[in-house]
Amino acid sequence: MNPTRPPEASDDRVPLFGTWRAIYGAVAACALIVMALLALFSRWRF
Amino acid sequence: MAVLSTAFATADWVVLAVYVVAIVAFGLWVGRGTRGIDDFFLAGRQMRWWAAGLSVMATQISAITFVGTTGQAYTKGMSFIAFYFGLPFAMVVLSLTVVPFFYRARVFTAYEYLERRFDGRTRTLTSLLFLLSRGLAVGVTLYAPSLVLSVVLGWSEAATIALMGGTTILYVVYGGNRSVIWTDVVQMALIWFGIFLCVGVAIARLPAEVGLRDALALAQTANRLETVDLSLDLTKPYTLWSGLIGGMFLAMAYFGCDQSQVQRYLSGRSLTESRLSLLFNAFLKVPMQFLILLTGVLVFVFFHFHETPLLWNRAELAQLVARAPAGEVGRLRAEAHAAHEERRTAATAFATARRAGLDSEPAREAYRASQLRLEHTDAEVRRLAGGPGAPVNDVNYIFPSFVVSQLRGGLAGLVIAVIFAAAMSTLAAELSSLATATVVDFYKRFVNTTGSGAHDLLVSRVFTAVWGLFAALVALEAGRLGSAIEVVNRFGSYFYGSILGVFALAILTPRATARGAFYGLIAGMATVFLVSQYTSIAFLWYNVVGALTVFVVGLVITAASGGTGEAGRRPGGVGEPAP
Repeated sequence: MNPTRPPEASDDRVPLFGTWRAIYGAVAACALIVMALLALFSRWRF
Repeated sequence: MAVLSTAFATADWVVLAVYVVAIVAFGLWVGRGTRGIDDFFLAGRQMRWWAAGLSVMATQISAITFVGTTGQAYTKGMSFIAFYFGLPFAMVVLSLTVVPFFYRARVFTAYEYLERRFDGRTRTLTSLLFLLSRGLAVGVTLYAPSLVLSVVLGWSEAATIALMGGTTILYVVYGGNRSVIWTDVVQMALIWFGIFLCVGVAIARLPAEVGLRDALALAQTANRLETVDLSLDLTKPYTLWSGLIGGMFLAMAYFGCDQSQVQRYLSGRSLTESRLSLLFNAFLKVPMQFLILLTGVLVFVFFHFHETPLLWNRAELAQLVARAPAGEVGRLRAEAHAAHEERRTAATAFATARRAGLDSEPAREAYRASQLRLEHTDAEVRRLAGGPGAPVNDVNYIFPSFVVSQLRGGLAGLVIAVIFAAAMSTLAAELSSLATATVVDFYKRFVNTTGSGAHDLLVSRVFTAVWGLFAALVALEAGRLGSAIEVVNRFGSYFYGSILGVFALAILTPRATARGAFYGLIAGMATVFLVSQYTSIAFLWYNVVGALTVFVVGLVITAASGGTGEAGRRPGGVGEPAP
């Protein structure tokens, strides 16, 4: 066994979006959108 | 100048008492039936993702984060939010890397994994560094809110420390991590409720002629709404880049290598639940901090229309009155009052001009000038109170002062209960993690390797109590330590990034050897120390420097010694059942 690679396990089901890659993509996209909204909030002329 | 009324009404005391009694009773109830250290330290590894996720969140948000962040927004604006920009990306990296390694290795502590990958020496050193930094910091976790609340509520520091510390120790000693997580869930729900309540109250208590948009326009004119600073200046603490890169390394170190957080998600009932508990925080953390900072900004606008004390910390104010030259405090009071009245008039004129659809630019400029004059007077007061070179910093007292002076009908008691909840949730997780590292990384390796389940559980409870008492003692003595508290807080930042570097070596590089990891760790800490002493680089970058130094030095030593990695030869490697 390669000690630096975790073995696959059956308990790692994907809860939504189909793949873990899609979930991580959603997290990153959400973070970028939140930062863009914050920048907009700061610059919005109230 | 008026002094804020800080009377805590009977209803407030009742609400606070109900919270304290209820949370202790709940902690004891959910902790019943705890058997063995797997139950005591990892809640039987049966937690759902949302419970573990709320516990992760509650552990990170301490009381001083709650009151300090609002105070920071009041005095400097919202730029502190950049601190959290790297957190969502760190959660993704951790879910991809350390979480599956830790979870499948069935370890109790993050440092246990390092022995399987490298050697016992590396495990002992990293665990010892955790115990030293977290052990001292847990005292500050208890001391800082106790100091603020004792001044605001009129209690002695010892009484506040005893109440917060004593109640938390009680349910953690009895129920272990299961009690920690479930009380965290309740406390986090209370904290979220408190955040929305404070935002609502701050908006509702604005004068009739000032709406929310007017309030935000005032805050914007006073530079309180800046959130994204694109500056490339490495000495600025909160820029987009320091937040994204430095903040990401800090979050990876904290959530990936600090036992107080690792223990939260190791309690998940499956790897998926553990991963989701972190990703849950990735979605919610930045919006939550935004709301807390917004509360501070709205309190800032609120106090345009309500008189503020000369200093928020009444103890500092009393000292200033006692030692300032005769007539000096009176002169400052008159100046501050005049500056406040000028700002109130200018702010009202600005809001009125906006509402009437008139050209509001002249009024905006007049308001900006009045704000600058008030800030100048404030700075003079703080310089006089603190002495040359060390102006008084009492930002942590602003929000609690607002709460106890403005909220009625038990709401002040509820928000003070929220501050208690934030302190207790962090303290509980820290005590549990300190006991886990002590028992698993030291006691069961060096003192008693063959103890029965009942014996180990008893010892674990004893160490939890000992760490709790130690925290209380540090908190009681913290007032005398003075600037040593700052040293304690900085101490952790010297090696957080370095420990992250060791884990990166362990997980990302199959060839890295134990020798490379051990001396890389020492080189990383030394480099961060030198950078902090001889440069003015902002602290968030220390984590990047430490992690990269360990990684590079570790690889160089590995290559120089002709090593090919030792983990493959070790019994009980990653993914195999814990011995």
